[in-house]
Amino acid sequence: MAKWGMVIDLEKCTGCQACTAACAMENNRLPGENWQDVVFFTEGEYPSVQVNWFPRPCMHCENASCVKVCPTRATYKTEDGFVLVDWDRCIGCKYCMIACPYGVRFYIDEKPLIGPDMRNVFRGKDGRAWNPPWKMPDALEDRRHGIGIQPRGVVSKCTFCYHRVSKAPRDAPDLSEHDPKTREYTPACVVACQPTARYFGDLDNPASEVSKMIANKNGVRLLDHLGNKPQVYYLTGVGGAVPSNRAIRKT
Amino acid sequence: MNYLAEPRSFAEVAQYLLNLWRREGTLQFLRLSLTLGREKSVAGEMWKYGVVIGLLSSAFVAFMLPTEGGAAFNTSSDGINWGLAISVYVFLALTSSGLTFIASLSMVFGFREYYPIAKRCIWLAIITLGAGFTVLALELGHPFRMLWAMPAGMQYLSPMFWMGVFYMIDLVLLLIKFDRLWHDDWHSPLSQALSIASFVAVVLASGMLGLVFGSMVMRPMWYGSFTAVYFILTAALSGAAVIVLATYLAYGFRHENMPEPLRSMASGKALPKVFATLTGIALFSVVTRLWTGLWSNLDGLEGFHALVGSPAFHIEVWAGLLLPFVLMVAPTLQRQARWQITAGVLVLLGMFIDRYQFLVTGQAVPMFKGAWVSGLAEYVPSLTEWMMAVLGFAIVFACYGLGEKLFDLASNPRHQVRGSAELTPAAQH
Repeated sequence: MAKWGMVIDLEKCTGCQACTAACAMENNRLPGENWQDVVFFTEGEYPSVQVNWFPRPCMHCENASCVKVCPTRATYKTEDGFVLVDWDRCIGCKYCMIACPYGVRFYIDEKPLIGPDMRNVFRGKDGRAWNPPWKMPDALEDRRHGIGIQPRGVVSKCTFCYHRVSKAPRDAPDLSEHDPKTREYTPACVVACQPTARYFGDLDNPASEVSKMIANKNGVRLLDHLGNKPQVYYLTGVGGAVPSNRAIRKT
Repeated sequence: MNYLAEPRSFAEVAQYLLNLWRREGTLQFLRLSLTLGREKSVAGEMWKYGVVIGLLSSAFVAFMLPTEGGAAFNTSSDGINWGLAISVYVFLALTSSGLTFIASLSMVFGFREYYPIAKRCIWLAIITLGAGFTVLALELGHPFRMLWAMPAGMQYLSPMFWMGVFYMIDLVLLLIKFDRLWHDDWHSPLSQALSIASFVAVVLASGMLGLVFGSMVMRPMWYGSFTAVYFILTAALSGAAVIVLATYLAYGFRHENMPEPLRSMASGKALPKVFATLTGIALFSVVTRLWTGLWSNLDGLEGFHALVGSPAFHIEVWAGLLLPFVLMVAPTLQRQARWQITAGVLVLLGMFIDRYQFLVTGQAVPMFKGAWVSGLAEYVPSLTEWMMAVLGFAIVFACYGLGEKLFDLASNPRHQVRGSAELTPAAQH
């Protein structure tokens, strides 16, 4: 069984947010509900100030705190490494949002993060919280895995594009947008990344490109000291920056 | 309706209400139901205002939740996830636990001078917990799903799961215990076993509620086993404050109106002694928590600096804890009704602020969010959230008035006990 994970090369990331847009289109996100976000922050003080950015999907942690706190097991971890939400079990208590150190979870029933409120423009039906005209085919929607447009009163998050990756060839070490055989199974944010800063593959397979990059380029994980063991690694090289302070204060 | 006092079963209540309705007609029946009797009484007033305010606030909430949903709250995925409603739940649940602790003083630990308030404590514990659950249910996305999803999921790693389990056990034991007291069973082996089980359950429940927050290493303002102890200790304090206020409220804020064993207790040293001790412990806990928070450089503790800058926090510490502590240790003041009531009001205000600020500042340092979140998260509760809080307190008020009318909340064991509140069967009525 593969353990899917992601590597993001911060030296190559240009902060263009194509990943954010691709994710929003692929997964029908509300404006602002960025499962795949790019966090912009500044370091230093004027005049020695530097603008930085930091792409941040769900880390699909090995020791996911969101899984452990969920009182109904609505949030769960699959054998192949995905952390998913079963919308039919979620009670909307938001404890997982409290327990996630990376702030990657979104509750649907709250004021819109960015106006106007699209839920009022495209009113939901058939149990969906909203109903945009560009939504994914009904056949792909899967409430038990948190895929598609969520119903009201539940929490949602990045699925690593489970609806694509779960159909990938069994022994594929990597899923790449450059390989025609695996392109359609590759997460949308990886496919859309123009500078190829994102890589997706089997972390348990030493022959995979992601495993090699983590080993050879000293891949680091965000807030590693908390022990969640994210399955997203960052390559910092000399130009990239992993923010050390989650408050990310602007100076 | 005077002769309805202390019915022996709910069937008796139903029969009485049915007869009353037949005799008086619908309109008069409704009027009497709202005032709980022909004559004006404190219990009737509490019930009346509780019901009216409860209906008004629930009408507002019942309009806002279906139309706006959670958008009627000012909580946000980008900032404060748990807002005022959760802090009201924590406040009410811990107050309920505290009331059970106070009841346990006589019923578990044998301090007989506290018998006159034991039954009242149990009733108040039931209704505050019920009100807390109501507010919590209104905040959840799918409260009814919880009823099957939690037992079916059995997520034993989740502090929230255990909090739910222990508080449900607590509520059931409280109801059975109250039923035993209702039937004057204070000392049978079953009643004593219930008291001990109830005490253990409430320690576990309030401690587990503390661990819902204390287990969160990614939220350093909450993290640590101290949080469970803090919740248990401050629960006892808010329970003590509520029983002081509720007892005085039932007797028009005067010692003279109280039946004898209760009057001896209220004007004796027993009550201020417990009250002062608990206030002192809470004050010490708040200050030590603040000290470590301000002293440490750990990322995520910045909320403590915001806390010090907040006027509400200073009201909590100086007026809500220090002043009541002084009032309850001063020999000339501690036994006077007016200062006991003042201390009770101030402590409850302080504890309410404490629950709110504990919850909100603990989330003030945002996790990794979009570029638009740059400092500490800001939050002001919406009108709907305030109305949910009002509804919770109105439920407590109304049910307390009803309980005061229906049950003899000042009753005692029907035999001689030693201690400062010596009882005889004649003195009980």
